[in-house]
Amino acid sequence: MIRVILLFVLLAPTVARAQSSDEFFDGRTLHEIHLYVHSRDLAELRARYWEELYVPADFEWRGIRVRNVGVRVRGLATRSDIKMGLRIDFNRYTAAQAFLGMSALILDNALKDPSLLRERISMAFIKRMGQPAPRESFGRVYINGSYEGLYTLVEAVDSAFLARELGDGLGYLFEHRFIGGFYGEFLGEDYAPYKLRFEAKTHELEGEYTLYAPIRELFREVNQDVDSVWRERVSWFVDLPQVVTHVAIETFLAEWDGFLGGSGMANFYLYRPVQTNVHRLIAWDRDTTFQDPETRLFDRVAENALMSRALRFSDLRTLFLDVLESCARSAAQDQWLENEIAGAHQLIRDAAYADNGKPSSNEEYETAIAHLMSFAQRRPAFVLDEVAKSR
Amino acid sequence: MDIARRRVGVEGRVSHVDYQVEYELGEREWRDVYLDYRQFKAVQVRGGVFKLPFGLDENTSPTNLDFVYRARISARLAPGRDRGVSVHGKVLKGGVISYEGGIFGGDGDNARPGSSQRVFGKRTMAARVLAHPFRGSKSFLSSLQFGGAVTGSEVPLGFPAIRARTVFGESFYDSDLWVYGHRQRTGLEVRWQPRRASLQAEYIRLSDERRGQSVEDGDLTPLVAQGWYASGTYALTRKRNRLGLLEAAARYETLSFGSRSRGVEPSTSARADAVLGNLLRVTTLGVNWQPNRWVKLQANLIREAIGSPSMGPSPEQAAFWSRVFRLQLTL
Repeated sequence: MIRVILLFVLLAPTVARAQSSDEFFDGRTLHEIHLYVHSRDLAELRARYWEELYVPADFEWRGIRVRNVGVRVRGLATRSDIKMGLRIDFNRYTAAQAFLGMSALILDNALKDPSLLRERISMAFIKRMGQPAPRESFGRVYINGSYEGLYTLVEAVDSAFLARELGDGLGYLFEHRFIGGFYGEFLGEDYAPYKLRFEAKTHELEGEYTLYAPIRELFREVNQDVDSVWRERVSWFVDLPQVVTHVAIETFLAEWDGFLGGSGMANFYLYRPVQTNVHRLIAWDRDTTFQDPETRLFDRVAENALMSRALRFSDLRTLFLDVLESCARSAAQDQWLENEIAGAHQLIRDAAYADNGKPSSNEEYETAIAHLMSFAQRRPAFVLDEVAKSR
Repeated sequence: MDIARRRVGVEGRVSHVDYQVEYELGEREWRDVYLDYRQFKAVQVRGGVFKLPFGLDENTSPTNLDFVYRARISARLAPGRDRGVSVHGKVLKGGVISYEGGIFGGDGDNARPGSSQRVFGKRTMAARVLAHPFRGSKSFLSSLQFGGAVTGSEVPLGFPAIRARTVFGESFYDSDLWVYGHRQRTGLEVRWQPRRASLQAEYIRLSDERRGQSVEDGDLTPLVAQGWYASGTYALTRKRNRLGLLEAAARYETLSFGSRSRGVEPSTSARADAVLGNLLRVTTLGVNWQPNRWVKLQANLIREAIGSPSMGPSPEQAAFWSRVFRLQLTL
């Protein structure tokens, strides 16, 4: 008996350490996150929610407590002092501190999504289609013991993410900052407008030339007139097949706030490996997907300087349609999309009902779920039909 | 070139009352302004603005300092001047024990905030006791004195105004940490001047409570700033030598900031229990030349070493040297 107890005591810490980020992002589990924030800091965080104000906090998941993390309110259209979208930086105050290997975590409040599901289901689909996307799961978030609401737990796009997804975490990563009305035009010789729209997330201390010259050249070449050299020159600065694939997946998901966003390009990262000038896109923030299941395939393509030129090339247009067709078949295969939505709904329903900070009533939540189910049932057939017509 | 001090003042005695009024022309502020009732040796009363009874180096007149700059613990942790009343005197066998204790409006101008958001000690009690056990004897220990001092005050909620600064005022640690509660200083000191040499050492510890400042609104372990120095001089000439007084001086000192908590990963969070602190070590070598009673020349070679240089003025450089010359004219 003593031996059994001793063995258990010896094993217990090992079990605690064995928690992995894969378990944290297990989409079949509804997690519980506890944040501890001093009452004064919490009041200040809510009062100044529009600022990039960090406050110290302790973070806890399954008994693992990470002390002295930095917390700030995040989001643009989803900024709120009631149900705050939060960014947790584990290493803000303690150098090299990490949680399950992650230096940061996003607690997405999903304020634009009455179903609360779009973000996680969309990212799961993007990953299913072979594109890099942050891992996500759902969690009940408590601040000082009080239920803040149901959140989507989102992996930060950083060097660790890049290393895992692309096998290279050493390159230049830029987060696109939405300031509206940018459809890929050439913004001039000065680096300032590029710097304004593309915030360096790695190599931040390097000079403007190193960081922004390839981005400036990308948009210069995208907007040059000579068709015969357009493709070659643009390909020096962007992976065109990857961009076309990225946009095709967005199109299948009927995203209206993505690379072909209605108010300009939005919600993506740009990544450039060290040894090359070729950029690629990484998806971010997918809580406005699943709009009208009959959204046309080429909506807003003409508005975007890059995509409008790229789809003039027959092989890229074929790729665009191929990816759309693959998306439709993959979503419909074994009713994958329907099952994902149904499973996630079952998982979060009670937590969503108890979430008083969500943007909708419980009836509106159910209506939004019904819309998603309808989308999952109708979208694949519509896309396949449209693809066939477009070939 | 920097004119460190430009002071005018008067001091004197009327009956049993000493008085002193001193004004700093450079900073345009009053320094010592007090009356001292000294009829009885054992019990004397002082009132006005003057230095709190804490710290050997801090309470040494600038004209008598062995180095161009006071020790870091004196400049940063000792209280300095404030408004108050104190009782002082010398007792036992011709003054073997000297004491001073008083109550002050704040915990001194060294602890005053540079910005209005920073906090300092409010009403402060201070006491200092010195022993001169061999005073008046012919022993070589006759000049030996040692003692201790304490201050106590309450600090309101805020970031402390006491900052970590190098000799030349560069920050080597940001004390952006919430404090609230009792502030206590403790000081120990010793001085001995055998023949042509002089030796002195001092230790100061300052702790600030952090009541209710954890992320769960509980108490954190106190912030602690502490340090010590040991210094010595040796007269290379006798005072009556026609060259005047020439002496060599050396001092080693430390000043550290951190918290009492141990055993967990230190952090820069404003609410961390284990604070990521820093340490400054300063070595000073000097020469003092006093050709007459009005003129004093000092030359110091200073080496400063910062424990975590990333928090210092030059993140790539852990140690740096400085040279300072000082000409002092006293009328």
